[in-house]
Amino acid sequence: MSSVIELENLVVKLGNRIILDRLNGSLTGQCIGLLGPNGSGKSTLLNTLLGFYPPFGGTARIFGGDLRGNIGLLRSSIGYMPESDAFIAEMSGIKFVRYMAEISGLPAREAMERAHEAFFYVGLGEVRYRKVGTYSLGMKQLVKLAQALVHGPRLLLLDEPTNGLDPEARQRMLQLVREIRDTRGVHIVISSHLLRDIEDCCDQVLILKQGRIAALCNLEEERKANRKFLELEIDRENGFVHAINELGCECASFNGGRLKIVLPENIAVRQLYQLAAEHTVQIRRMNYRRDSLEDIFLKAMEDKPEAREIASGRL
Amino acid sequence: MAVYKRTYKVYDGPLTPTGSRFLVLSRYSAAAFFESRWFTVFSFLCLVPVFIGAFMIYLVHNASVQLLLGMSLKAKDLIGNVWFWGFLQSQAWLAFFMALWAVPGMMSRDFSNHALQLYLSRPLSRIEYLLGKVSAVVIALSCITWVPGLLLFGLQAQLEGNGWGRQNLWLMAAIFIGCVLWIAVVALLSMALSVWVKWRIAASGLMLAVFFVLPGFGEAASAILGTQWGKLLNVPYMMTLIWTRLFRLPEHFRHGWRYDDMPLWSAWASVLGVCLISLLLLNRRLRAREVERG
Repeated sequence: MSSVIELENLVVKLGNRIILDRLNGSLTGQCIGLLGPNGSGKSTLLNTLLGFYPPFGGTARIFGGDLRGNIGLLRSSIGYMPESDAFIAEMSGIKFVRYMAEISGLPAREAMERAHEAFFYVGLGEVRYRKVGTYSLGMKQLVKLAQALVHGPRLLLLDEPTNGLDPEARQRMLQLVREIRDTRGVHIVISSHLLRDIEDCCDQVLILKQGRIAALCNLEEERKANRKFLELEIDRENGFVHAINELGCECASFNGGRLKIVLPENIAVRQLYQLAAEHTVQIRRMNYRRDSLEDIFLKAMEDKPEAREIASGRL
Repeated sequence: MAVYKRTYKVYDGPLTPTGSRFLVLSRYSAAAFFESRWFTVFSFLCLVPVFIGAFMIYLVHNASVQLLLGMSLKAKDLIGNVWFWGFLQSQAWLAFFMALWAVPGMMSRDFSNHALQLYLSRPLSRIEYLLGKVSAVVIALSCITWVPGLLLFGLQAQLEGNGWGRQNLWLMAAIFIGCVLWIAVVALLSMALSVWVKWRIAASGLMLAVFFVLPGFGEAASAILGTQWGKLLNVPYMMTLIWTRLFRLPEHFRHGWRYDDMPLWSAWASVLGVCLISLLLLNRRLRAREVERG
């Protein structure tokens, strides 16, 4: 798969502080998540990719184009949705988005057409003639997304897109991101400190810690690997664990009747139900393991050799 | 693509030339000026002296009308460098108030809600952003200063005949250079102050302070130190000093208005210094992200 973003010993200094320290890696996913605690360098990385901060050392490439010397050209294929408020309050929504499209190089007629499309696409069609300053917070987030999409970029940089949204608006925003991702016409980079947002949308994740890469992994592969990893909650043991082990599964039991089971390829979930019935054990809960990203994140945040293995891609 | 087809599509249509995209900013900024009814009314009021000037030129060249009005005017005595200097003075101050109204509003729109990062995340450099905004102001101010000034010059040259226009080509240059200099100072300073304080009312107040309060401090400093150099802080005085030389005003005229207290080079240095400081302020503040040094 060709690289969307390549980082090559990228160092960014602001004042005398090193914010990004020798970042290396190749981001290839359709939707890439940038994770990390506050101050880890997520937004700085996005700002560097946009050319707002010049690299102090190393470089980054977007679709193969080097940031140094090509930033004007690269920006025309990037859409950016900033974290903070960013709009012209006195303009109507449609005029604002059209204005942004024209600055991106669209002729006036096409800009107007695409502005209308973008508004309907994000679900703000009905309020497009209202001034942006009168929009609610959720609407302002959506209008930021509309202006990022209007010129049809190949790469969309979303900085904390669900910030300050209520649960319903958050779901709507994530749904939109998934829809955009599934069109396959655009690559998305989402910066967030919410694991759930990243897990819902992304197929690759880059975890930053104190300006360094703590982990870079492919969530799709992780999900595939976890497909055979089950968590069970049972009412009593009754020889069930022994039977599972005899079946050829690896099983670990925990307090409260919780079991973690690795299913080999040749064993189906239905066989577990049969075993439970034979041992008169009631399965109260069963699910595929869902906390893979959380695990990866927590491992990455610990300064352990395991975390370094994750960082080097050996998951 | 129709509106009802709600799906994301990469844009692969025609694009405008990169070199002319700053004009989008000029167009939208100029349109925003005229969204205000007051600005539109004021713009028309700014043209009143132009119509009066045109009528005067017509009057002094039309013996029949003069006879009708019982007047006896001679163009040679009336329309000349002093007349055009007076016209420039009135239009320059109208341009100042126009900039005072329009520029802080234009800049605060982008700065009060952090819209600058949206401009600069697009294929638009900081210089192009500045060029787009400055050109909107320059066009608006030009329409009430040197453009009507040159039109009046052309009218006078046409009606006077006898090679008056060719003999007074230097006056044409004086009108143009004088106005452009004033526009540059007013536009750059008002933009720099607007970007610095990011608040429309404060920026307007600061602009007034630079033009009307700072000269007072300069005069006080001059009086206390027993020198004339305090006038360096008086931007309108320095501008007028340059104009008096550009328009070749007679010695007694300059002396009467005390426009020969300071050397010409100091006026140019002061005016160019204001432009340079304004550009430095703009360079510091026109950034998508501000970096805290530490």
